Amino acid sequence: MSSTLKKTIPVAIVAVVALLVMMDYFIVTPPVNEAGKSWTSTTVRDLQNWGIILTAFSLGFGAVNLFYFHSKHISRRTPDQWMFSLWLLIVIVIFTVVGVFYGPTSTSYSWIYNASYFALSATVYSSLGFYMTSGLYRALRFKNTESGIFLVVGLIALLRNAPAIAVYFPVLIPWESFISDVLTTSAQRGIMIGGALGAISLGIRTMTGRETGFLGRLTEEEKGGGAP
Amino acid sequence: MSGQGKGIWDKLENIPREVLYGILLVVFVIPMLFPLGLPVPISANVRKWYATIDALPPGSVVMMDFGYSGGGEPELGPMAVAVYNHLFKKEGIKVISMSTSIEGPQLWDKAIAEIRPEQSYGAQYGVDYINIGYIAGTETAMAAVGKDLRATTSTDYKGNPLSQYPIMDGIVDATSFDLLIVYTTGGDQSEGWVRQWYTVYGTPYLCSVLAMMIPTMLPYQNAGQIVAVTSGAMAGQMELLVNVPARGIKSADVITLTHLLCVVYVAIGNIAYFAKKAQGGK
Repeated sequence: MSSTLKKTIPVAIVAVVALLVMMDYFIVTPPVNEAGKSWTSTTVRDLQNWGIILTAFSLGFGAVNLFYFHSKHISRRTPDQWMFSLWLLIVIVIFTVVGVFYGPTSTSYSWIYNASYFALSATVYSSLGFYMTSGLYRALRFKNTESGIFLVVGLIALLRNAPAIAVYFPVLIPWESFISDVLTTSAQRGIMIGGALGAISLGIRTMTGRETGFLGRLTEEEKGGGAP
Repeated sequence: MSGQGKGIWDKLENIPREVLYGILLVVFVIPMLFPLGLPVPISANVRKWYATIDALPPGSVVMMDFGYSGGGEPELGPMAVAVYNHLFKKEGIKVISMSTSIEGPQLWDKAIAEIRPEQSYGAQYGVDYINIGYIAGTETAMAAVGKDLRATTSTDYKGNPLSQYPIMDGIVDATSFDLLIVYTTGGDQSEGWVRQWYTVYGTPYLCSVLAMMIPTMLPYQNAGQIVAVTSGAMAGQMELLVNVPARGIKSADVITLTHLLCVVYVAIGNIAYFAKKAQGGK
């Protein structure tokens, strides 16, 4: 397959779509239809709906891929794996059959969801509390200045977030607010602005064909010559 | 120094996790079975949430995103139920729900089964509230619904046409909504709504997330992009304000006691550490 098909055309599509979406976001173009929508607005609306359809399709495609991947484990009897793969496929089939024949809003579907997946996922998430408690006990030790700061901030946050304690020790409220609103927010803003600048840079590189990771594996020649 | 003494500090510095877990379990279960009724102060953010909803005039339309997964339901579910109760108590508020999480419709069903709007408030599905279901694509879905809801989905979560429901009359895009309320376990969702709705349409936005996500959301609140951020752990406070005590208020006792236990564990660990050090240990 030529480089044009593998790289140039996909990059051009990405660039045009990205420019259209950005135009719609930043530029107010004159209304053209009876609903007062501009041509960029209606085009981007259609593009967004295509995106939703493609995402929904990828969910189904993911299920097919799971079947393919785990069927191989079952047929090869991969040690310590194939029985879990079999169980996974059985569960997928049960959910799919009930969802397709009774509907995903049926009481049958809700029952199997609540009795199996919901109960398990809530349990797994809740069990984190035990690990966190053990982690706190071991990590919050005043071994040096840094761990001392960590300890003090951790204790203030713990006590402030215990509802009844904040009633008896209201002084914790402004302390915790200072930590959250000033220290944490300023650090978090730095991280977010840095991340956003990185995303802008990645976007520009993708639109100009310098970032080709989304195209899959390309040879150095297809990437653009192989020179650094 | 006695060898026995050193042994005690050693043991206290390295309490086996089974013991830590066992005591935590007891401290967790007791207030669940026998609620202690410890005081629950109402935080400024919960008051701001409540006041924002309370200030909605009759006829207001609210978009609500059930963007959490099953794992986050024990934390975010009680908040969603408390807020729904508040909205139903108010006269003439329309609530349109959607989900950016694939499990959202099931969790919405769970919340509605808890509230029982028809019996408790005389609210009718399709007239006072509706669920337009899961829309794939996370941020793309938010943008698409904001731009043109009817072009994005033409049915509710049961597959019935939206045109048959009176609540959908006049609902076109994000400008049709007076308030956006989001419950989510995902940063993509909580931050995405800022980018796709607040920034573009200026829709007032209330956000409820997992407690550990609060620091990532505070910059948006402090910049005025979100009216108030709360964690699901504050559901008890909302239940007190709405006067519908339920799961949230029960968990407030548990949160207080388990947090106190964590402080006790940390104190024991540090006392043992320094005592051992004073005795010449490492």
